[in-house]
Amino acid sequence: MDMIKKTRNVVYVWEFPVRLYHWINALSITVLIATGLLIGHPIGIHLAPEASMTYWFGWVRFLHFAFAFLFFFNFIFRMYWGLVGNEYSRWFNYIPIRKKQWAQIWAVIKSDVLLLKYDEESKPIGHNALASFTYFLTFLAFLLQCLTGFGMYAAMSQSWLPKMFAWFPHLLGGDMMTRQIHHITMWFFILFAMVHIYLVFYHDYIERKGTVSSMIGGWKFVDKDDK
Amino acid sequence: MAIKQKTLYEEIREAGHSRRDFLRFCSMMAAYLGLESSGVAQVVEALENNPRLPVVWFHFQECTCCSESFIRSSHPIVADIILDKISLDYTETLMAAAGNQAEEALHATMEKYHGEYVMLVEGSIPTENEAYCCIGGRSALEIVKEAAEGAKAIIAWGNCASAGCVQAAKPNPTGAKPVHKVLKGKTVINVQGCPPIGEVMAGVIVHILAFGRMPQLDRMGRPKAFYSRRVHDTCYRRPNYDAGLFVESFDDENAKKGYCLYKVGCKGPVTYNACGVIRWNNGTSYPIQSGHPCIGCSEEGFWDNGPFYQHLPSFPGFGIESNADKIGLGLGIATGAGIAAHFLATNVAKRKRIKNEDIVINEK
Amino acid sequence: MANRIVVDPVTRIEGHLRVELDIQNGKVVDAYSSGTMVRGIEIILKGRDPRDAWAFTERVCGVCTTVHALASVRCVENSLGMIVPPNAEMIRNLMFAAQYMQDHVVHFYHLHALDWVDVVSALSADPAATSTLAQSISKWPNSSPGYFSDLKKRLSKFVESGQLGIFANGYWGHNAYKLPPEANLMAVAHYLEALEWQKEIVKIHTIFGGKNPHPNYLVGGVPCSINLDENNAINAERLAYVGTLLGQAQDFINQVYIPDLLAVASFYKDWAAIGGGLSNYLVYGDLPMNGYNDPSSFKFPRGVIMNRNLNEVQEINPADLEEIQEFVTHSWYEYEEGDETGKHPFEGETKLNFTGPNPPYDQLNVEGKYSWMKTPRWKGNAMEVGPLSRMLVGFASGKDEYVEAVTGVLTALDVPVEALFSTLGRTAARGLETQLMTGWSMEFYNQLMANIKNGDTRTATTELFDPDTWPDEAQGVGMTEAPRGALAHWIKIKDKKINNYQLVVPSTWNASPRDAKGQRSAYEASLIGTPVDDPEKPLEVLRTIHSFDPCIACAVH
Ligand code: HEM
Ligand code: HEM
Ligand code: NFV
Ligand code: SF4
Ligand code: SF4
Ligand code: F3S
Ligand SMILES: [Mg+2]
Repeated sequence: MDMIKKTRNVVYVWEFPVRLYHWINALSITVLIATGLLIGHPIGIHLAPEASMTYWFGWVRFLHFAFAFLFFFNFIFRMYWGLVGNEYSRWFNYIPIRKKQWAQIWAVIKSDVLLLKYDEESKPIGHNALASFTYFLTFLAFLLQCLTGFGMYAAMSQSWLPKMFAWFPHLLGGDMMTRQIHHITMWFFILFAMVHIYLVFYHDYIERKGTVSSMIGGWKFVDKDDK
Repeated sequence: MAIKQKTLYEEIREAGHSRRDFLRFCSMMAAYLGLESSGVAQVVEALENNPRLPVVWFHFQECTCCSESFIRSSHPIVADIILDKISLDYTETLMAAAGNQAEEALHATMEKYHGEYVMLVEGSIPTENEAYCCIGGRSALEIVKEAAEGAKAIIAWGNCASAGCVQAAKPNPTGAKPVHKVLKGKTVINVQGCPPIGEVMAGVIVHILAFGRMPQLDRMGRPKAFYSRRVHDTCYRRPNYDAGLFVESFDDENAKKGYCLYKVGCKGPVTYNACGVIRWNNGTSYPIQSGHPCIGCSEEGFWDNGPFYQHLPSFPGFGIESNADKIGLGLGIATGAGIAAHFLATNVAKRKRIKNEDIVINEK
Repeated sequence: MANRIVVDPVTRIEGHLRVELDIQNGKVVDAYSSGTMVRGIEIILKGRDPRDAWAFTERVCGVCTTVHALASVRCVENSLGMIVPPNAEMIRNLMFAAQYMQDHVVHFYHLHALDWVDVVSALSADPAATSTLAQSISKWPNSSPGYFSDLKKRLSKFVESGQLGIFANGYWGHNAYKLPPEANLMAVAHYLEALEWQKEIVKIHTIFGGKNPHPNYLVGGVPCSINLDENNAINAERLAYVGTLLGQAQDFINQVYIPDLLAVASFYKDWAAIGGGLSNYLVYGDLPMNGYNDPSSFKFPRGVIMNRNLNEVQEINPADLEEIQEFVTHSWYEYEEGDETGKHPFEGETKLNFTGPNPPYDQLNVEGKYSWMKTPRWKGNAMEVGPLSRMLVGFASGKDEYVEAVTGVLTALDVPVEALFSTLGRTAARGLETQLMTGWSMEFYNQLMANIKNGDTRTATTELFDPDTWPDEAQGVGMTEAPRGALAHWIKIKDKKINNYQLVVPSTWNASPRDAKGQRSAYEASLIGTPVDDPEKPLEVLRTIHSFDPCIACAVH
């Protein structure tokens, strides 16, 4: 059996703001899912002798709203960074409008999903085109979650930010449908996170380019001809 | 019988008030309406010369419960509204005349007060086949369009007229539509609820009478005065919700303590209505206070947001028992299984490649 | 040659009723009754959660609100074998009683009275004489000369304004009005007082069901919990509130409604010979004192009377496929097996099939289909349902309180038993059962209080509430006596969902079109022979129709 010998260069791919964004995002989404699930299916407590003595469920909602704001501004920040960050974080990477991106999406499907031959042609340094496209869809889901979330929040808040979203629930025919969509979108995040986390470890394992650690330190190990 | 119309001015004079009282009243009204001082003359003019507000009340696809709710109003009481405040010239439920005589009364008002009368609608309008609702041999659609022509204001009573209500629930066999959908381009006040609270109905009429203008409406045409707060945010059981104290099943220990009804399906968190504040039947109680979860009766399409005793709606096509979470969980398990399979397959398919690489990192 | 006249809309009823009448020599010789609005509730119910059906069917009608909810929860309970706790049964009875008292009083004063009372004639009444009249028939306190003179002033001011509102274009001055001006003025006073009072009695619904109209029900019991040591539940204050409302109702009904009814009736005894119509009467019975499964404990006994034979009360079984059937021969529906067949509600089918005439139209095609109501029959017979049927079955069953009440009114008006089978009899029967209800409601209340005192506070059985506990298939029937008569819902449950749901409603029995054999239902039958003084002003027609208290939203659903 022949050993394939490879020499890899170290490239700084994920700038600190992107990494910070990522982990704040991961944390807030985790908290939002946990608190959101509780809002949807509250666990009854049977110990409190009087309602006035506890406020735990109020706190769950408070956490949800607090992290909602964090999540929202973090997301806005990432939009901005897509305009000013390095080439790997730019917007045009995320929307498959170029032929090359489609070719890469097909290549990734063949190699990662169908487990066919590993396509030596496609060697992205940043996200591969399929991953990027998925992140783009994720960004749309973020947007939807903010529209529905703040839309519902508008009725219980006097602050200008949520009020700006007050029109959205009316568009959907009321809060019931809004909440329903908000809830379903949560499942998208859960499924996304499962697949996403698996895939970053999978890529790390297969390619050994330091995918996982790149979101911590920013560095990736890339082949000479990776672009 | 010699018939002469009394204006509000004449009535005020008859009640023993002076012209000065009357003028003071007019400037107060003008101030309410936010008019310049020059506008006072207008108000004086209007009140001196206008008769009691003519009102026509139509019944289409409905259960007449909105009429019933209206006569439950305690402030103001309905006898006073009907006798002293408005002139209810047409309403099939209460009017003395029937058949041709009823139709004549309606047309007399529509002609004489063209552009002046207020039109109240109870019930939805079938569009699948106009014959699904006919009165005097004419279809509801024809009647509502004709009457809207000369109406100064249009009020849609209840969920039927505002959103189609139960007959518009799937599959909506008659193509029932709310008033605002068949009268495109007209402002319709949607007084939501199934039925709306009696005092709210009377309140909307009194608003128009006392302030001479439409109440402020939200984007769904509902008067903000009564529909800007969620039932949940004005619910007196809310402290229980915030504390995590929930009724788990009807008449359990927690129900006997009046805990929050969220887990037995309460739609208060997604329902805009004044039940928690005004309450029903002169403040006697409201659904939640009497132990039943809110079913969301003032929301568009609430019939299809069921089942009522389940927090999340069931998913169309998946049966009563399945909801977003059950489907989500199923997908989650499938995804997990997919990942496991993929992981195993990877180790088989790419073992060679994984094993045979020898990587040297080039630290620049 | 008969002359066809049309009354549409029939007003002062619930819903959209049209009657076409053939008039000859000042009398009705034939009549056609048509419901002109349909919603398709039975179609909408398919595939839904059986536990939600009460809310859908309650919206069939807001005038008899609660009755469909009750029939609905009962049919689900029946199909799943649930037994509701005694407190829930009593609370349901109390809500039932409140519904009757409100509905019947509103019917008498606001829907029926203007057929007998000339509002304009009241303007010439002498307030002092009115006061004397009022005091001679009742001890009701609002009866001073000053009270009536204030009312007269208010009324004249209203009439002089020229805007007659709901009284515009009425049949004022019609030959058929017989009351003296004083009686008319007294009736107008009570019209307004009844409007005030009716919103009080319904608070019983609000206390137990959270609102009225359309209070909440629950499969397996009632949603409100009882806890004497909690302000979030039915406690001593709430119960005392109910007691007070019942007391007020008793006063109003015994001191205002019943005396007025007898006073008005005494001027219209000729109507004891008009409007009899059918001679068969059907009652499902209701108001259990010992659980719904023990009909012998019912305040309203169950049974059928055929051919006005008050010596025999026959049994009925609504679950028997041969007994109750619905026909669509003259209704705008179609049946798979053909429109001549009858179908038991378990097998029932609801498929809209409009055959014209298209609106706008002047006359219906009464040879073909002409109504949105189906036509129910019991063993092939047309049956009358409602207060008269209930009084007759109670009377024929020999129950003391019925015999006393019926003979009491016959003596007071000095008319024979046959007078019951008439327009006047129907209106009187409604009053009698309301009066009986005032006494019974106190029994329900006392029994509820006694239960609680004995430590039983249960209001719902929830073991079978979870659909996981249900069989794959089940079916049941829920019966009640709605104010307008015998009401039942039939449900078939399959895979935890509604597979078929059929309602056969009191006004469907009474107001339906002819059946396949051409037999008339109650409205059409009873209109025949009704005098019509002026075909342009069909006041007499309204009297007979109103004596049934039509509810067409119910009848069609
Ligand atoms: C990834 C992001 C988010 C997830 C996964 C998430 C999840 C959830 C879930 C599952 C619920 C319960 C819905 C139900 O079962 O009826 C919920 C409720 C809610 N969420 Fe979010 N949410 C997210 C972001 C947001 C944001 C950005 C906002 C903005 C303020 C927000 C506001 C709300 C509000 C107002 C409610 C209703 C709370 C109540 O009525 O008590 N959420 N969320
Ligand atoms: C243990 C947890 C996680 C790890 C190790 C991880 C790791 C990574 C890595 C390595 C990348 C870059 C992938 C690439 O090169 O294509 C990435 C990108 C991303 N991850 Fe995660 N992730 C985690 C959790 C999450 C969670 C929970 C979310 C949110 C649902 C998330 C959302 C994203 C997004 C949106 C990107 C694209 C970032 C951008 O381009 O701005 N990640 N993650
Ligand atoms: N017919 C009828 Fe009803 C009654 N009573 C119900 O079952 O009226 Ni609305
Ligand atoms: S909105 Fe509800 S209460 Fe009003 S008429 Fe319609 S069904 Fe009845
Ligand atoms: S009972 Fe309903 S409205 Fe009230 S706090 Fe609980 S969920 Fe909210
Ligand atoms: S069901 Fe309706 S009556 Fe009020 S509490 Fe809910 S909006
Ligand atoms: Mg039916």
